Amino acid sequence: MQESNHPTNGPAVPADNELLRLVFESATDFAIFTIDPNGITTSWNPGAERLLGYKTDEIIGKSADVIFPAEEGGFEAAAEERRSALAQGRAEDERWQMRKDGTRLWASGLLMPLAERDAGFVKMLRDRTSQHRAAEQLAQSEELFRVLATNIPQLVFRSKSDGERTWASPQWTIFSGLSFADSIGFGWLDAIHPDDREETQAAWLEARAKGEYYVEHRVRRSADREFRWHQTRAVPMKVSSDADAVDWVGTMTDIHELRVLQDRQKVLLAELQHRRRNLLGVVQSLARQTIRSSPSLDDFADDFESRLGALSRAQGLLAQSDNRPIELGDLVRAELEAHASADVEKVTTEGPAAPLPAMSAQSMALALHELATNAVKYGALGQPSGRLTVRWEVKNDQSRRQATVVWSESGVAMPEGGPARKGYGSELIERALPYQLGAKTKLRFEPDGVHCEIAVPLASEEKRDD
Amino acid sequence: MTESQSLLGRRLLVVEDEYMIAADLARALEDRGAEVIGPAGSVEDALNLVAAEQRIDGAVLDINLRGERSYPVADALRTRGVRFVFTTGYDAWAIPDAYAAVPRVEKPVNIKALSGLFSIDQSDEKPRTL
Repeated sequence: MQESNHPTNGPAVPADNELLRLVFESATDFAIFTIDPNGITTSWNPGAERLLGYKTDEIIGKSADVIFPAEEGGFEAAAEERRSALAQGRAEDERWQMRKDGTRLWASGLLMPLAERDAGFVKMLRDRTSQHRAAEQLAQSEELFRVLATNIPQLVFRSKSDGERTWASPQWTIFSGLSFADSIGFGWLDAIHPDDREETQAAWLEARAKGEYYVEHRVRRSADREFRWHQTRAVPMKVSSDADAVDWVGTMTDIHELRVLQDRQKVLLAELQHRRRNLLGVVQSLARQTIRSSPSLDDFADDFESRLGALSRAQGLLAQSDNRPIELGDLVRAELEAHASADVEKVTTEGPAAPLPAMSAQSMALALHELATNAVKYGALGQPSGRLTVRWEVKNDQSRRQATVVWSESGVAMPEGGPARKGYGSELIERALPYQLGAKTKLRFEPDGVHCEIAVPLASEEKRDD
Repeated sequence: MTESQSLLGRRLLVVEDEYMIAADLARALEDRGAEVIGPAGSVEDALNLVAAEQRIDGAVLDINLRGERSYPVADALRTRGVRFVFTTGYDAWAIPDAYAAVPRVEKPVNIKALSGLFSIDQSDEKPRTL
């Protein structure tokens, strides 16, 4: 055995080789050490001290296998490495090794038998921990991107700054029915609604200046060929110094339901506004008509207030029904109850289900109100012997449904010479209902009371009146 | 010229589905000397009147006629070169671009302002804003 290899005699480097000694001493980025055939440390350079944490005098004469952590196989792995080096002439690997303080380092290692077989081995280790971690992180972030890009509901793409696509996620292919090959370049435009393509392209021109791409456009879903509204956004990846070479990453989000709801809300808002103003118009004309037929301000106040009451009851029923058809019976009863709640014995109402279109409800309510008011003042509801019957029936006439309401008073002593004048109520029944609802009406002042017949179209089945 | 006669001899078409409003409007226009054509309560009736009448000097057009839009009537009036105004409960944004320039009188209608739009000689009146 050569003296230079003796473990107790300092670094086991050939003493006569100054160059090797210098390398051994100065290679602080490399751990270089020698071990005997059983793994006992025979030399330990400053690089080994730095990388592995053991001082030379702490480890010389002791097993160097301690740098193999248990999860890497421990002593067994170290022995295996030596057998492999003997058999192959060298054993190279990258693996986790353990410092004295128990922390791990990722090391690229080489174990070679010394020329003289039983002299043992030399091992060289390079710390590759930061590179390893970086590679791990890269792999992780690539995996994260892959998982995100291929599992989120959005359609993901990568493209050049002019919109030329270089990649599309599987969801895009599933949604659009365009294969990867058909989608890259500008092939993806095929799935964009023709009316939206220009805007889609133009947005790419703006995107570079703004640093963000944004457009809302319709994208064809291959499953049912339906164009669905999407919100498409993209941002440049900030990794290249060359602005032209920058890749953009984007997502396309289905916002169809949202758009449809927004549009619907707009329509509803417009309708609400329209109805509100129209109602004011009706109130305005109601006031004018009442002024014309009122001998005094007191008369006006009474009549106007009670007519507003009828209007308000009709509005209440409309609000409850959410502007779906209203039952004729509900309308009739609401009006009669408002006038004759105390005297139910006088009144008979009878008729089948009869859905009145929402837009007819208001005029019908006002007409019934005029009949009821008249009955309270001069007719069946104001005289002890008076009786009132309100009956209606429903007829189907060539796909048109129609209800005929018959208002019939009896036991009334009519004022001398019939009604004082043809007022608002008569105009409403004889002219407004035919004009507005396409109704046919007859109004007669008979000696025993008022008889009125109103034939009014009903709502067709299942039709929403809005 | 008195204001009550400011529409003297004007033949004005009234299109409005709400009878009471239509009757009211017609009466007010007649009080100012106009001759009222209609009122018509549906798109169909209004189109028939536009086609049949020899002379129409102006028209008052409700946008929503029993759930139907009156734009076909507006188009027919335009073709004839008849001035018209919309009476409506809709806000400006709910009206299509093609009709955005049509003067609008919001409901409830101010008859004075409305008749000002159709008066024979508007030069001796200040421009009216609606």
